[in-house]
Amino acid sequence: MKKIGVIGIGNLLRKDDGVGIVLLERLQKQKKELPKNIEFIDGGTGGMNLLHLLAQFDTVLLIDAVDFKGRPGEARVFSLKDIQSQKKPVMMSTHDPDFLNLLRLSQELKELPETLVIFGVQPRDVSHGMGLSKEIETVLDDLYLKLQKEIQDFVR
Amino acid sequence: MSKDFSIHVEHVTRVEGHGNIEVNVRAGKIEKVEWRVVEAPRFFEAMLRGQNYNELRPITSRICGICSIGHSLASLKATEDALGVHITEQTAILRRLAINAENMQSHILHIGYLVAPDLFGVGSVFPLVGTKHTDALLTIVKLHRLANEMSDLVCGRTIHPIRLIVGGFSMVPTEKQLLRLRERLEEARTLTSTVAGTVHSVADRLPAFTRETEYIALSTENEYALYDGVITSTDTGKHPDYKEYQSIMKEYVVPHSTAKYAKHARDSYMVGALARFNLNSSQLHPAAKEVASMFGLKPMNYNPFMNTIAQLVEFAHNIEDSLHWIDVLLENGVRDEKPAKIKPKAGRGVGIVEVPRGILVHDYTLNSKGYCTKANCIIPTNQNHANIQKDMEQLVPEILSRPEKEIELTLEMLVRAYDPCISCSTHYLDVTFV
Repeated sequence: MKKIGVIGIGNLLRKDDGVGIVLLERLQKQKKELPKNIEFIDGGTGGMNLLHLLAQFDTVLLIDAVDFKGRPGEARVFSLKDIQSQKKPVMMSTHDPDFLNLLRLSQELKELPETLVIFGVQPRDVSHGMGLSKEIETVLDDLYLKLQKEIQDFVR
Repeated sequence: MSKDFSIHVEHVTRVEGHGNIEVNVRAGKIEKVEWRVVEAPRFFEAMLRGQNYNELRPITSRICGICSIGHSLASLKATEDALGVHITEQTAILRRLAINAENMQSHILHIGYLVAPDLFGVGSVFPLVGTKHTDALLTIVKLHRLANEMSDLVCGRTIHPIRLIVGGFSMVPTEKQLLRLRERLEEARTLTSTVAGTVHSVADRLPAFTRETEYIALSTENEYALYDGVITSTDTGKHPDYKEYQSIMKEYVVPHSTAKYAKHARDSYMVGALARFNLNSSQLHPAAKEVASMFGLKPMNYNPFMNTIAQLVEFAHNIEDSLHWIDVLLENGVRDEKPAKIKPKAGRGVGIVEVPRGILVHDYTLNSKGYCTKANCIIPTNQNHANIQKDMEQLVPEILSRPEKEIELTLEMLVRAYDPCISCSTHYLDVTFV
């Protein structure tokens, strides 16, 4: 049986940046209804420490706040080949906030899961503070349903 | 020599949009050398106010994913200090294992993924894959993986620990798991020597720069201090009254940065592996001392670039120290202890630990119901900002005759040597669809 990882990423102390973790926590509460070969992981702000998590899975669904210039709360599902990062590489600290760099290293080390899909939610407010913005909070149920459906398709 | 140039190295986020290294030279004369940072721990302090004592640890562990064990331990120590909670010997040992795991995780990450590319003369870790350095990189990856597994075993997670709670642990590792970890750590000794050998072969690329400064770290007579100890300065000695930490770590603001800076006996001081080494090297395990002597690292060493070597030395120490504590646990027998019972009460508590980047302080005031009314966190990176600035001010004139690109790289390497914590930034992906 394939090992599937659902990984939430983001900073809960920067409002909508934490939407991936909020959605992951919901999934964790409902995990009895989902297949057993799925592992749910709170990747938080682990940066490069997440490298080895990826290597453990055949298939990974990442849940993250993604600025794709969409409408706040809009969700898009895509894979790495669909996108281009707009962030400049940091390389001044191991706290690299760009997860795409880590994915690249994983790819170079030939550890990247066979399938990797990103469930991205357009944030509105990523300033300091706990809790999501009103725009995201009001669509959270819809986002969760969409995510659930995505996971069902994913394991099929 | 007269030349004009300016260096502007964008650091992190498009949100704040601050440049981080700024150098302006006109007609060979330095007009500006600035280390700018965007960082905002005061926001975290505001988030802690009004929270129950049980929530302080989970929230502060979110400040940083790389230092989440360290923030957790400082938070627990502060909370337990305020509530008058005492922990068992087993908890204290397990917390030492946790701190070793995080130090190993963070140090190997820094050495392997951030500094090694400079030493091998490539721009980032990516070009190292598929070259003659691949084996060295894979060894680093193995050690990093081991440190992650150790963190998983002791704290329940690689990132943002969950088993560390006020008064103890929610779950403890089994003896069988500890024995397996013991085997893995023994294997890691050889891997560590391999990494030390590789770094040594290119260590002459570390700039030979020195600037005398003050170093501050915890120290204790019992061990190489990480989890416990007394605030100690290379200038002024021991400061046993831990609740008076603000008389040592004097924070202030500068116009060009949103982060707080700190100073003590001089204009700046340094915290981190090199500070700990300079203060406590005699307490290192012999295996770690061997690594230090391989690189000719002796106290007092005033070269900030040697911080990376001090981290390598500590990595070797962390392995041996972990083996020691695992043996003590196995000898005592691992007990399924329940965390200490807590009765909320009013009080102030201060927790101080050494985390990979240096000394970290959490200071909480709780009301009689156990809710936080005031919080203060002093993070290592903020304590190092002034030191980075002073290093740059001395370094730039010393290397001014070199090509511009080399000056820029040397300044970047200096910042990398400190591995500033920027996890308080956002982590969202910024993409366009192709």
